[in-house]
Amino acid sequence: MKLKIWMRSALAVGALMSLTTGALAGGMLRYATVGEPPSLDQQVITSDLATTIAHHMFEGLYTFNASNAPVPLLASGETVSKDGKTIVISLRKGVQFHNGQAMTSADVLASLQRWGEFGSRGSLIFDHVASVEATGDYEITLNLKEPFGPWKNLMAFINGGPAIHPASIMTGATKEPIAPENYIGTGPYKFNAWEANRYVELVSFDDYVSPSGKADGYGGARVAEFDTLRFIPVPDVGTRIAGVRAGDYDYAESIPGDLFAELDADVGVKTMLNGGPIFGLVFLNSSDGPLKENFALRRAIQTAIDKTPALQVAIGPEGLWRANGSFAPEGSVWATTSGTENYSKGDAEAAKSMAAAAGYDGQPIKFMVSTNYPFHYDSAIVYTKQLAQAGFNIDLQVYDWATLIEKRAQPDQWDLFFTHHGFVPDPILISVMNDNYPGWWATPEKKALKDRFTASSDPAERQEIWADIQALIYDQVPTMKTGDVYTYNIASPKLSGLGEQTLIWPSFWNVSK
Amino acid sequence: MYLNNSILSPSLFRMAGAKCLLSFIEVDMLAYTVKRLFTLIPTLLSASILVFLFVHLIPGDPAAILLGDTATPEEVAQLSAEMGFDRPLATQYFLWLGNVLQGDLGISIFFREPVLSVIASGAETSILLASMTMVWIILFGLPIGVLSATKHGTWVDQVTSSGAMLAASVPTFWLGLYLIMIFSVTLGWFPSSGFPSLSDDGGIANLRYLLLPSLTLAAPNAALIVRLVRASMLDVAREDHVRTARAKGLHPVRVTIKHVFRNALIAVAAAFGFTFAALISEAVVTETVFSLPGIGRLVVQSILRRDYPVIQGVILVIVVLYMVVNLLVDLAYARLDPRVSLK
Repeated sequence: MKLKIWMRSALAVGALMSLTTGALAGGMLRYATVGEPPSLDQQVITSDLATTIAHHMFEGLYTFNASNAPVPLLASGETVSKDGKTIVISLRKGVQFHNGQAMTSADVLASLQRWGEFGSRGSLIFDHVASVEATGDYEITLNLKEPFGPWKNLMAFINGGPAIHPASIMTGATKEPIAPENYIGTGPYKFNAWEANRYVELVSFDDYVSPSGKADGYGGARVAEFDTLRFIPVPDVGTRIAGVRAGDYDYAESIPGDLFAELDADVGVKTMLNGGPIFGLVFLNSSDGPLKENFALRRAIQTAIDKTPALQVAIGPEGLWRANGSFAPEGSVWATTSGTENYSKGDAEAAKSMAAAAGYDGQPIKFMVSTNYPFHYDSAIVYTKQLAQAGFNIDLQVYDWATLIEKRAQPDQWDLFFTHHGFVPDPILISVMNDNYPGWWATPEKKALKDRFTASSDPAERQEIWADIQALIYDQVPTMKTGDVYTYNIASPKLSGLGEQTLIWPSFWNVSK
Repeated sequence: MYLNNSILSPSLFRMAGAKCLLSFIEVDMLAYTVKRLFTLIPTLLSASILVFLFVHLIPGDPAAILLGDTATPEEVAQLSAEMGFDRPLATQYFLWLGNVLQGDLGISIFFREPVLSVIASGAETSILLASMTMVWIILFGLPIGVLSATKHGTWVDQVTSSGAMLAASVPTFWLGLYLIMIFSVTLGWFPSSGFPSLSDDGGIANLRYLLLPSLTLAAPNAALIVRLVRASMLDVAREDHVRTARAKGLHPVRVTIKHVFRNALIAVAAAFGFTFAALISEAVVTETVFSLPGIGRLVVQSILRRDYPVIQGVILVIVVLYMVVNLLVDLAYARLDPRVSLK
């Protein structure tokens, strides 16, 4: 009897063990995400995780090639009038939505209208648009109030950008993100399921009509090699790494810098640097409190801070950060040294005398930071010490991210707050350029330069004006850039077609296992 | 003939008496249960007000989380109004309560699906995880606790007690990560994380995803049960009825099992009940390490994202769970200890 029980137990354990093999599903890419996206509606959501998933499903009229230049995606080309005020965009024919409907100008018009009115970045361009109309089944015309140089970059940036959906979905859509059942796009993968806390799953779209040409960045031909893309929330970084090593995941994102050397040397994983760095920003309050209109005091704060020690503490290995004062990263056409001599002086004595000259009398300066992002908090600790050494009375207020976002909307609640910014292909997309972004930097000097910057279509002229704007940022100090941070992900060595580094968001068309 | 004789037999008279007593106890228990269930109503109502106030009075706006860092305060206010969060708190509460009374806990702001369905998805993982953990606790905790008590003061007691202290002291995130390193990365025996539903491909075999997490969770909880069983048994062993049983010459094993262990179980029963409830609602660290879609992680994530309907719904469900467990523990007390009155 006892023997029987033991035999049964042994058989049960054996059966359980045999089931543990074969965890990998054929044709499926398993991507371990840091969490879950708030929504996948690209027009209103600017979460990078949302874009990482959604840009496999949704496409815009343009996208970026490997040099971050805009190239046609759903558009086939465009003509711009000599005065730069009329843009006629022709659309690719034969493109199908995931619901089987053919894409026409009516869908593009409805999508652009919703984005212009409610999209996160829509107003940046639609403030300059007099009208937008469908001037043919496959033709859209934008009539601008005045020339607007960055229009194509804005159209190509899918994060908070003009993803194209069927008119039936866009008509009546508001600021509220569209529901998952309306995740209908034109991309190589289509939405399949969103299981709360388990995964978001996309499946290949058999009727996908790819743009022509060699794959180049996000441009050119797209082929859905996997049957399924599954994005799985794995909040613990140790588990994400162990999962890739164990073969349970093919790709894992947001790996801490201090593990880079170990993982880079590990043949069992491939490290993937993100080519477009993120950068920390400390915003200063231009609307209320002691820093309002006191540019001299702001410059004193800027002078007190040495950015390098904070980057060393918060990020770690030198290959993952650059103490770069240019708001655009090295190698970008927008990179400039204009004003950057003031980027990281770290001169406490000079700062002390500048603050005294600016009338600072030791009143508390409220500095808000969140622990949701460890590098924000670690950097803020270093800055607080440096500012204290320069005689500033810093009241460091630590919140969770949701609370910080609410408080920063109230000008009387803060003087400084820490955030970070993703890579953007055009400086007009940097949050400090938005007059309504908390900090509320809207001086006449900024307005004059910004108007010239957006009105110009000449790349060389725009670069010169941007250099002037960056110099103005270092002079009026609406925000302080903390440095470039090159985040990285890890991938299974079995994946092919990934390239050497990620452009902005990882993409898995033209990738196979 | 046989039937008539049987009815008249004295032993059956005793059985009939016992049956009557049993049904009297069951009627008593039923009345008590109904009474306790009625007391749930005001408690739940109070809990709903507290939960609603707690959730809405903490700073943070789901609209701001949805729209992300680049959104301006005006855009956040616009979406917040679209979602109805600009209405007076009392209006929002009564609207929510009205829906709850009709069985509708609302729609998750982030998942865009009914809260009940979100909770059900998390509950499947949590209930299975808690059940599997309870199996390990019973398999390891009870026998080791009994062994420790019966070998009180010997090296066996010292080894089991030290082992229990060690298991209780090891942080679950540390133990979990080491189990992953050994059994998933090095040996490749078990999946490192995640849990597909039993209704997904794999069916019942998907339970293998819960083996390492349940062992991780069982370690500290089984250790506590070992200590509790040991302490309770040592207490009971000193009582007069045990001394009498020994004096009567009963076999030591019979004394241990029937007179000591059974009476010691009264204290352990409550611990089992609340451990089970805690395993369902508070296993957030283990759920995070193993990336399990359970209730604990759902609550924490919903709080961080200010997903009001989910927070309110999950906390209400947890309140109900604890109240039901409390009731079941009280009923179990009455079953195990005749001295306990349900009145």
